[in-house]
Amino acid sequence: MPAPRFEQLLRRLQAGVATLEGPELRYGFVNEQMQVLVGANAEGRTLTEQPGLLPTALLEVLPKVYEAGTPYTARACACGPAADGPDRRYFDVMVDPYADEAGEPAGLLLLAVDVSEQEATRQRAHELALTTRQLDARLRVLTETAPLFTYTMSPEGEVTYVSPQWYRFTGQPETADLTAIWPLLVHPDDRLRVLFESDTARRTGTGWNYEYRLRRYDGQYRWMLSRALPEVHPPDQPVAWHGALTEVHLQRELSEARRRGEAELRFLADSIPELVWTTSAEGLVEYYNHYTKSYSGLTTEELGPTGWVGLLYPEEQAAAARRWVQSVASGEDFEGEYRLRRADGVYRWHTIRARRLNDGSGPRWFGAGSDVEEQHRLRQVLQTQYDELARAHHNLDTFVYAASHDLRQPTLNLRGLFEELSRSVRFTDPEQALMLRMVDTALTHLDGTLADLAATVQTQRQQQEPVEVLDLALGLEEILLGLRPQIVLQGASVEIDVQEAPGLLYSRANFRSVVHNLVSNALKFAHPMRPPQVLLRSYLTAQGQPVLEVRDNGLGMHVDDPHNPAFRLFSRQHTEVEGTGVGLYLVQRIVTSQGGHVEADSTPGVGTTFRVFWAAPTGLE
Amino acid sequence: MKHIVYLSRAVRPMTDTDLQALLDQSRHDNVRHGITGVLFYSHGNIAQLFEGPAEMVDPLFDRISRDGRHSHVRKLVDTPIAARSFPTWSMAFHPLEPSGFTALENFLLPHQLPPLPPSLTIADALLVELVQLAVFGPDPTQPFEHRHSDPPRTLDA
Ligand SMILES: Cc1cc2nc3c(=O)[nH]c(=O)nc-3n(C[C@H](O)[C@H](O)[C@H](O)COP(=O)(O)O)c2cc1C
Repeated sequence: MPAPRFEQLLRRLQAGVATLEGPELRYGFVNEQMQVLVGANAEGRTLTEQPGLLPTALLEVLPKVYEAGTPYTARACACGPAADGPDRRYFDVMVDPYADEAGEPAGLLLLAVDVSEQEATRQRAHELALTTRQLDARLRVLTETAPLFTYTMSPEGEVTYVSPQWYRFTGQPETADLTAIWPLLVHPDDRLRVLFESDTARRTGTGWNYEYRLRRYDGQYRWMLSRALPEVHPPDQPVAWHGALTEVHLQRELSEARRRGEAELRFLADSIPELVWTTSAEGLVEYYNHYTKSYSGLTTEELGPTGWVGLLYPEEQAAAARRWVQSVASGEDFEGEYRLRRADGVYRWHTIRARRLNDGSGPRWFGAGSDVEEQHRLRQVLQTQYDELARAHHNLDTFVYAASHDLRQPTLNLRGLFEELSRSVRFTDPEQALMLRMVDTALTHLDGTLADLAATVQTQRQQQEPVEVLDLALGLEEILLGLRPQIVLQGASVEIDVQEAPGLLYSRANFRSVVHNLVSNALKFAHPMRPPQVLLRSYLTAQGQPVLEVRDNGLGMHVDDPHNPAFRLFSRQHTEVEGTGVGLYLVQRIVTSQGGHVEADSTPGVGTTFRVFWAAPTGLE
Repeated sequence: MKHIVYLSRAVRPMTDTDLQALLDQSRHDNVRHGITGVLFYSHGNIAQLFEGPAEMVDPLFDRISRDGRHSHVRKLVDTPIAARSFPTWSMAFHPLEPSGFTALENFLLPHQLPPLPPSLTIADALLVELVQLAVFGPDPTQPFEHRHSDPPRTLDA
């Protein structure tokens, strides 16, 4: 038995202590801690009578330990009521058999140490490990299925991990020495740069971000983007660099192509002697070609995003700026002719065009300016010449009119004198009488020509005559009335048919001239064997164009092109018939000046049909 | 004397409070530093012209371009000028709650901007009109949602 002082210590020990005596395992000494486990009143009772909170498994084992006489330890023995309840406690229980003086088994010494805390921690650790394993598995699935490759590099530059995609992509065996092999798979042109950048980043403890070409399993090099960040636990140096590798080949080729396209475009633009520039979507110039700079004598900086407008003729700048803002706002093309100041201060005319185009990187404006100074000058020369010609033409007309007018009076006087002469003078020679008739004819002819000349000039002036709606039946009757003596003389019959198109919007004087000339022509070129028959018919074409047809049964004539017959001043087909050749020329001039045209078809010996298309087909009001 | 024009993008849409704060801060500092000009804001689009003595303008542009409230700062013009074109400094934008702003000093609605003064060259006036168009769109009476071209390009050297 322990000495009283020792017993005091044992009772207050922070571990449970108890003795079980004899083969029936009766509680002898039970300290305070053990009483928690087996109950306060256990002393003197047997184990079977008082199992307390001890687990069944232990209760079964204790008699066997007594018999065997060998020590036994149960670790993290769960003691207490409900399994996994909050009161559940865990003990390491050590069982030590002891013998009496004779060496016979006498009892068991029980030592129970509360390990609940440790056990809880252990279990938490276990659960954590489980979750970690799950997370780890998820991470692995993610890293190994994502389209990017992941890798880890040590501070010394050793590659300690690459995801399986890397092996698949490069075709390297899983046994490959990563650290040694990866630089060899980098394109030789990129290798030094990549090694340098990764070394530098690892030395300075920063991440990296670069692109390089990596050799694929099939030997092709593909552009990759490599990004990594250091894993740091301050204040220590980084322990590793974790990174991802993404294939960016297509994007890279696309932007490369765009860059190349841009470079080619600029090369072209810089090689041509035209002004070329491009602007952002906002209409701010980003690029002027060489020619623009040498033409203006200004640098891109001096020109600035809107400086082009300052090259324009000062009076034209504000309007051009407004036009440009309007184009940028609406997306409409910009177009105009402007004078642009050259480096030497000379302004030259340019045609300027700009258009908004979408080249894949958003809308941009492309502008070009062509020097049209020569054309402009040529145009001015032409204009001057045209003006001079028009003036000369007018003067000529005036002269002809004045001359024919002025000559008419003397001709009339001449005729008067001649008539006086032929009355008062007697010719005996019959030849002389013939000469007298010839002089008479010549005088009549001269008078007719002068009258026609005056009429030609007159119609030219009438081209701006006011138009009105004409009643064709009335108008035609009126004209025929004027030709009555001739009609009667020749026994001609003239028929009028205006049913289809009884009205016409035309100048009255011009209408009269046209019809008068055509009808007198028909009478003049009548066939000698039959009385003239003339049909005047007004109708509309399918397009609604008004037409006057004048059909006769006269001599007919030769027409090269019925749709575009050429009527020239003073050109005559039938020299045996009197006439000045002015008539048809006049008709054509009047009709074409009003936008219409004249067609003719004719069979020699049978007759002629003229069709007057009064107006242009589109010019219908 | 010089002036600077730039375009930029707010890193996130600015609220009435943000704009008010910027207005208060800038108005105060600009009076002190002899800076005048105009700032346009709409839907994250920013453009500003400011003018003053070179020794004030250059450091201000440095501060502005480092300001974390916006990015993609694109300087368009940085040139000497003979005289000021703006009598004061002001800001034009569409507040969500216009009633709080209309009476405010140095604030303008985008469609109430006065015409550009003739002291600006036509090239500079055109530039201001184009950035105004880039920020407010074709109809400045309406709030305008769009981004100016990105990534910003620069004039080649
Ligand atoms: C879009 C924008 C425009 C600004 N305009 C001005 C301005 O006109 N004047 C000014 O003093 N600060 C302006 N600031 C504020 C400056 O960026 C900066 O915050 C201010 O000058 C204070 O700088 P500090 O904090 O370095 O002293 C602007 C900021 C932003 C984002």
